[in-house]
Amino acid sequence: MGLPLFSPSEDPGPSFVHFAEMSGLLTMPERAIDAPHATTVVALRYAEGVVMVGDRRATAGYIANRDVRKIEAADAFTAIAISGSAARGMEFIRLAQLSFEHYQKMTDADLTLEGKANYLSPLIQRNNLSSPLVVVPLLAGWDPTRREGRIFEYDGAGGCYERQDFATIGSGTPFAESALRLGFRTGLTRNEALDLAALAIYEAGDNDPSTGGPDFVRGIFPMVVTIDADGFAELPTDDVRARYEAINERRTQAQGVAGGTLR
Amino acid sequence: MSNYFYVSPEQLIKDRAEFAQKGIARGRSIVAAIYDVGIVLVAENQSASLNKISEIYDRIAFAGVGKYNEFDRLREAGIRWADSTGYTYSREDVDVRALANYYAQHLGDMFTEGPKPLEVEILVAQLGGIVRPTKLYRVAYEGTIADEPHFAVVGGESDSIRARLAEAEQEVHDLATTLRNAVAALAGPDREIAVADLEVAVLEDRGTRRTFLRLGDEQVAQLLEQ
Repeated sequence: MGLPLFSPSEDPGPSFVHFAEMSGLLTMPERAIDAPHATTVVALRYAEGVVMVGDRRATAGYIANRDVRKIEAADAFTAIAISGSAARGMEFIRLAQLSFEHYQKMTDADLTLEGKANYLSPLIQRNNLSSPLVVVPLLAGWDPTRREGRIFEYDGAGGCYERQDFATIGSGTPFAESALRLGFRTGLTRNEALDLAALAIYEAGDNDPSTGGPDFVRGIFPMVVTIDADGFAELPTDDVRARYEAINERRTQAQGVAGGTLR
Repeated sequence: MSNYFYVSPEQLIKDRAEFAQKGIARGRSIVAAIYDVGIVLVAENQSASLNKISEIYDRIAFAGVGKYNEFDRLREAGIRWADSTGYTYSREDVDVRALANYYAQHLGDMFTEGPKPLEVEILVAQLGGIVRPTKLYRVAYEGTIADEPHFAVVGGESDSIRARLAEAEQEVHDLATTLRNAVAALAGPDREIAVADLEVAVLEDRGTRRTFLRLGDEQVAQLLEQ
């Protein structure tokens, strides 16, 4: 590509997607193939931010990958997670990351969290309504003006909804959401929120064949991140392992069920 | 029927060069210099929001003098080029030399074929890393491109500033010393530049992917006092 110069009337502005469309960089698949799918991610709010946990499995009728990272930092204070087509989802994350940074460099100003959430809507719509490789993301971030964590979920057509409590995406949703519905209350501490979100993914992994639970054999555990006033941070594997070992221990004692309480 | 007067190519080029030089000379100069662990870019700029220095990519910065609207379009084109190249290939495939060449080609084309030459001069800097070397390129209004080993100056009074800086920067210093030298060279012997009128940014490794950082007035004042 040469130097991409535009006349003022044709200038795509600070949107990378507009620019990429004008330059023919973006393509759209037109038929479905048996490509891997990514599943279950949960996000929930706690007193000082948002916790996000995602399983690591990609399936295509079999287990295609055991250590997929479905949550990524879209920027320092925003996390984006994906479910649905793994290929489109990864592309979606890349596009979101690049778009937020592109906007910031072009205008020398940060997009607001709501601005980022709204920016994704037409991207989802564009992908899902014209391609069979559906992708549904989840956006969570720290809002520096409101000084709180916020969660935005989407439907398959691109509708964007802010959630005050928690949100789940992917095929393990019924199981993860049940755990969250029973365990959630407002003002959870960080530690309580981490435990509850970890448990929700455990339940999804236990019941949904497309969702991977903790893999003690390979040492692969669901990905756990927090977004608070200090920004995006991923929990170290040892911490995650300890939380899943605790859940496993309780489940073993109760012979595979929650045992009458949420644990 | 209108009359066409013959103008020799020499005269045409000379007129165009004079026109561009006049436009560039109206603005203040910019200095970029390599220091021990990074690159610092210093501009004299009364405006706090209309920047002359900007981030292009993870390890690449841009600075422009002359007409704001003209170099700002080049800045935007540079960001677009870098982001789309990194998106198409990988982030490590974005190299400043290719960008400097595109700027040189565009400025050269505008100088000879455009309705008027662009009244700008451009600096692009790249902080070296594992894959790519540290580089400073200066691109003049007519498309001349220069690869500067230690520091670069663009703008109206660049010759005298360059002479002053060459004397102070005989070796590579730390950030505070380099910044002091750059500001002194910009100001000259007879005046001082207020900190509020300085626009300063650095490219330096801080353990993050992006290395561009603007320095606020307080940080600049602190560094100048050291």
